[in-house]
Amino acid sequence: MAGSRSRGRRYVLLLLLLCGFGVVLFRLVTLQVLQAAELSVKADRQHQKTVSLEGARGSIVDRHGKVLAMNVEVPSVFGVPNTVDSPLKTARQLSQILHVRTDELERRLRQDRSFVWLARKLDPEQGRRLDRLSLDGIGVVMEGRRFYPKGPLLAHVLGFSGMDGEGLEGVEHRYESYLHGEKRMMVLQRDALGRTVFPKGMTERSPTPGHSLALTIDEVIQYIVERELENAVGRARAKSGTMIVLDPKTGAVLAMAVSPRFDPNAVSALSSDRWRNRALTDAYEPGSTMKTMMAAAAIEERVIKPNSMVFGEHGRMTVANTVIHDHERLGWVSFAQVIQKSSNIGAAKTGMALGEQRLYRYLQAFGFGQRTEIDLPGEGAGLFRNPKDWGRRSVASISMGQEIGVTPLQMVSAVAAIANDGVLMKPYVVSEIRDADGHILRQVPPQIKRRVISPETARSVTKILEGVITDGTGTKAAILGFRVAGKTGTAQKIDPRTGAYSATRVVASFAGYVPADMPQLAMLVVIDEPQGDTSGGSVAAPVFSRVGEQVLSYLGVPSDAPVTLAMASR
Amino acid sequence: MKVFTVFLGLCLVFVFVWERVDVVRVGYQIERLKRDKTVLERQRDELRVKFSTLSASDRIAKLATQKLGMSVPQQGQIIVVQSRPSGVRPSDIALVELKVARNDLPTGRF
Repeated sequence: MAGSRSRGRRYVLLLLLLCGFGVVLFRLVTLQVLQAAELSVKADRQHQKTVSLEGARGSIVDRHGKVLAMNVEVPSVFGVPNTVDSPLKTARQLSQILHVRTDELERRLRQDRSFVWLARKLDPEQGRRLDRLSLDGIGVVMEGRRFYPKGPLLAHVLGFSGMDGEGLEGVEHRYESYLHGEKRMMVLQRDALGRTVFPKGMTERSPTPGHSLALTIDEVIQYIVERELENAVGRARAKSGTMIVLDPKTGAVLAMAVSPRFDPNAVSALSSDRWRNRALTDAYEPGSTMKTMMAAAAIEERVIKPNSMVFGEHGRMTVANTVIHDHERLGWVSFAQVIQKSSNIGAAKTGMALGEQRLYRYLQAFGFGQRTEIDLPGEGAGLFRNPKDWGRRSVASISMGQEIGVTPLQMVSAVAAIANDGVLMKPYVVSEIRDADGHILRQVPPQIKRRVISPETARSVTKILEGVITDGTGTKAAILGFRVAGKTGTAQKIDPRTGAYSATRVVASFAGYVPADMPQLAMLVVIDEPQGDTSGGSVAAPVFSRVGEQVLSYLGVPSDAPVTLAMASR
Repeated sequence: MKVFTVFLGLCLVFVFVWERVDVVRVGYQIERLKRDKTVLERQRDELRVKFSTLSASDRIAKLATQKLGMSVPQQGQIIVVQSRPSGVRPSDIALVELKVARNDLPTGRF
């Protein structure tokens, strides 16, 4: 009896033990298997602090592989306050190298935080001096710093990136998803009391660099354009200037410049007004350069022929109770002469013969009133109202480039369409995307948007535009040894105080292409508010000529026009 | 036989230890090479930036004009010889010498 009771107790004890072990085993499985991942993350969070560092950003090169933007690793300095014995002494030593005030550094080193940045993206020499000091609680980590080795060159197109390496403007912003590298993590360990242990052997995840971009821009052409534009803006004491050079066959942008320039290496002190790419954001009334597109539409629709005669009304014509003036008192002239002499009356009459619907349709087909869809951020659509909102004078006004706002990019694309036998191309600046190993990920082919006019009409318009250079308002756009086609524009600006056209503030422009028979370059020059002689033929046309001459020579384009002694000694 | 077995055992132990030591040694070597690679890559990037800065057209033009006394020929200082009949594509003909600085030639020679 006693033996069976003792055995019973043993069984109970055994059962209790088994239950106890069972509970422990169940808990172990729960912690180690079922909740392992979640608890591991929780533990890491308690024992580790991670600091995110941006990965290496991809570089940007021109069409010949010349570097325009790239990342270089430079030192950044951080502190781990609880491991710094004497914040004041350390701050004094750091201040001499970092050029930051001692009290500011001391304040940061006394903060109740496990990690503080003291100075970021320093010069390599500063990093080497810090290494030599070897201060307790102070560390140096390498971060990517964006460099634009050509300085202000192409700054409005390239844009720039911020302190944390994110693209903020231009190509840097538009192609952020390709350019940015994989982020790196610097891991700081904490002890049981939550104090940060100084990261002796810091853990850095192997970073994957961003992709590189090859642009359609040619560094040499861009330099020529920027130099000539800066000179022209300076000479004319103008407010600003814009110039774009396109390859008319492909729509590739060879150069895009805005004056005044800025240096993307030092943008912190500049306002957004300074880095805005006016070539695609700002709309302006084009004035007489618009007559080119009106002429193309009228010839295509057989409303008029280049040799048709138009009466110039001796320089004064009334339309919808307003008077249109010409700068020359013309009588009977051919339509070609209307364009060559930039007659407002001739253009207004032709536009009215074309009619509002056809004029609207063609100008839309040339791309006005809509974005060109260039691969750059911030593009504007210009201002081109629907015919139902037009007034009684609108057809006449639009035919001579008033009552319509266009961006410089829209205008040069439209002119390039005429140069390209009537086919409108989509402008683009990035031609290729490559990964860090140099493998091509994406090649951007030229894209046709639409045919606007027939090749025959394009040739007729070219012939008329050649006359602008030889016998018209654009003689200063002539390039020795080459046939040039183009059109001048001098548009009065609206005075914001009166709401009427200003007598003194104008936009002078010239749009054209060269060589006229086989165009290699389509170019637009826009000078905003020049002083003195303000006409497009005097201010913008010479820039076209100087740039064209140098670029054609650089590209090795053979001349196509016989040279006379008179031209040579001009 | 016994001696041979002990000798073989010692050899195996030696090979095992030698292999472990060598693995550690190569590991250190790889780490050092990785560090060297990082340093060299940084140097390469710095040199690329330097090269790009020094070869900027703006800088070259400044050196050419200010140090070497060169200047961009102005309009009227250049004679262009027609090298392409009108209507012939530029790519269809070989490029011949196009331009002659007018300053280098006696006036009126052309």
